[in-house]
Amino acid sequence: MKKKLTAILTASAMVAALCACGGSQPAATTAAPAETPAATEAPATEAPAAETEAAAETEAAETEAAAEESSEGKVFNIYAWNEEFKGFFEKYYKVPDGVTVNWIITPSDNGAYQQKLDEALLNQENAADDDKVDMFLAEADYILKYAGSDATQDITKIGVTDFSNTYNYTVQAASDANGVVKGVSFQCCPSALIYRRSIAEDVLGTSEPDEVQAKLDSWEKFNAVAADAKAKGYYMTPSFAETYRVFSNNCTTPWVDADNNLQFDPQIEAWMDQTDEFIKNGYTLTAGIWDDEKNAQMFADGKTMCFFGPAWYFNFCMGNAQDPEKGCSGDWAITEGPAAHFWGGTWLMAPAGTDNPTMLADIMNTFINDEEVCSALVENEAQFSNNQAVNAKFAADESYGNEFLGGQNDVAVFSAMTDNIVWENHTIYDQLLNEGLQNQMQEYYKGSVDKETALKNFYNYVNETYPAIVTPQ
Amino acid sequence: MSKEEKVLKKKSPRNAKWGYIFIIPFFAAYICCTLIPQLMTFYNSLFMNYRDGLTQVGPKFVGLQNFVKLFSPDNSGTIGILKYFGNTIILWLMGAIPQIVVAMLLAVFFTSYRLNIKGQQFFKTVIYMPNLIMASAFSMLFFTLFSPVGPVNQLLLGAGWVDKAVDFLNIKISVRVLISLMNFLMWFGNTTILLMAGIQGIDQSLFDAAMVDGASSTQTFFRVTLPLLRPILIYTVITAMIGGIQMFDVPQILTKGIGMPNRTSMTVVMYLNNYLTTSKNYGMAGAVSVVLFIISAALSLVVYSSLSRQYKKPARHRKY
Repeated sequence: MKKKLTAILTASAMVAALCACGGSQPAATTAAPAETPAATEAPATEAPAAETEAAAETEAAETEAAAEESSEGKVFNIYAWNEEFKGFFEKYYKVPDGVTVNWIITPSDNGAYQQKLDEALLNQENAADDDKVDMFLAEADYILKYAGSDATQDITKIGVTDFSNTYNYTVQAASDANGVVKGVSFQCCPSALIYRRSIAEDVLGTSEPDEVQAKLDSWEKFNAVAADAKAKGYYMTPSFAETYRVFSNNCTTPWVDADNNLQFDPQIEAWMDQTDEFIKNGYTLTAGIWDDEKNAQMFADGKTMCFFGPAWYFNFCMGNAQDPEKGCSGDWAITEGPAAHFWGGTWLMAPAGTDNPTMLADIMNTFINDEEVCSALVENEAQFSNNQAVNAKFAADESYGNEFLGGQNDVAVFSAMTDNIVWENHTIYDQLLNEGLQNQMQEYYKGSVDKETALKNFYNYVNETYPAIVTPQ
Repeated sequence: MSKEEKVLKKKSPRNAKWGYIFIIPFFAAYICCTLIPQLMTFYNSLFMNYRDGLTQVGPKFVGLQNFVKLFSPDNSGTIGILKYFGNTIILWLMGAIPQIVVAMLLAVFFTSYRLNIKGQQFFKTVIYMPNLIMASAFSMLFFTLFSPVGPVNQLLLGAGWVDKAVDFLNIKISVRVLISLMNFLMWFGNTTILLMAGIQGIDQSLFDAAMVDGASSTQTFFRVTLPLLRPILIYTVITAMIGGIQMFDVPQILTKGIGMPNRTSMTVVMYLNNYLTTSKNYGMAGAVSVVLFIISAALSLVVYSSLSRQYKKPARHRKY
């Protein structure tokens, strides 16, 4: 009898264990190779049910109480796609005692970050308090998707109300169609032409920002200088997509029209025309904007004159130029360039249903309104902060200069550019359309396909990625 | 009837019952983890069901519309899924043929007691090693090695063999060779060990008999080893094929998910992944999965029947 009982127990334990494995397996974002395609689907639909039912009951009672700080969660989850903000957060934000901050970092390539975030946000209601998204970061390319949805909440209701010092476009970007603000940016991202002083000296005969600007303030001049640079053995830009943002941020139409038809703005066409010309004449490289081949151009022995990017770009993405041995820190300067534009920017967004609203509001206020922190961002981190008063202080300070830029006051340059930034013509599809177009066009510029095929491949990519968008036939 | 016989008669059906109970876990796991998802996939493929931003569209029953869409030519006149099946099969064959040939040779060498290779354990471990590395890490490594500014190009340029960096990842043939090479490196060790087990399972006296009869090594291999190894070989080929048809991680990472150049290294599962990741398009992804399932099943049947037919009917005319 005893044996029988043991056997039954063992068998049922095995069955239970196996069933449990099947049921709670999370929806894999990076699919394992051995899994059959059929098997990857089912867990996604049935996964959360098992573990979350219990949590859902307690959750209802707790959301009300969460308004009071004392009863707020002890775990603060932040979703991000890189370590940039994490560094600032850890340095300048004092986390309340007893609260643990979790960073969930997923790279944004191929939309991986958005997938991870979407899963978490759509599961927000059912998640246990300690697993809820308490804050997430979003970039200009896809902020609309979140700002315009119910997954984010009105931050004026949790205590972030003072936007008097922030730049207007940063507030617009984080607002939904009715003007309800859902997040704040800790940086303002006017994007500049970043050039090598020594190469500019050789090509243009000057390295002074004002004089360089006068010689590069329109696309005609820019294209003409590209020929001069080539004649002296330099590249004008390090990547076929280097000027993409300069054009795309000045589009007069969004990527899709009211009926969700894909459309090419004249600015995108202009980018293609310019790039065709640049590649044909050898003014630029066929590397993508994030490729190693392009980044190698930032070393002292690089042959490229012009890069484009905002403050975060030369702080966070130009590590090669700052390399103490092979780099060329100090040999750089910035100027507005041929067209005003911005690029990226990191917004701190308030997810609906967070169990730490007070701390969330506190973080937001710290990074836009705390003068000390904003000053530290400018002074120690060479950021261009989202606080106009702080930026004005540094812009007027003659002793302030950025070493990387040879002592140039970058805050003054950026401050002068902010008025020209407009936030319009964005769609929820921007990131993958911009990225997809560049990926497909790269094949054309590398010579492996003709332009027509590249565009057809782009349409196929769009059809697969976004079933809602209608592509030209 | 003696007491013992009685007990035996009484016990055997009860034992069988326990046998059934003990195999429950496998069947339960199979039903939960394989059969139900598979049926769900069929079901899902009949619906329009995706996400537009954070908004759910559907599920709405559309019949076979997803399949019609899958097999209709795109704007350049090609039927996507057939092209990607072609790519997958080519990539698989390029890796699998050398994989099985090399594995077979190694297995024969390692098991041959005439050669009597020393340090077998060491070699077996080494050839199995690449399989322990995560495929995506392996792929990332190759991506860096063969990038235009990577070490391979630096070597080639340094040695003066090329004047300009070779863009390995944008040339159809080199991308395909790299993918096959990685799959080969990752899997030949595994195949070797399977085949070795198969060869060791063959009665040694048969080899001895062949040797006494004066058979050469080649004759022994083709007339003794190969026919008797067939069941294991069928298993190896079919599992390799199913793995090959589902090829995903290596090309996905190596080609940044776009199957460059011109989608010639895009496999079916990469195509499926395109539907699934951003928009959670269960309808279209389900349709791709169903087609994938049907083709895998059909190919497995073909391989199985063609390899096992000879096994069942040994040729009579051969003179041994």
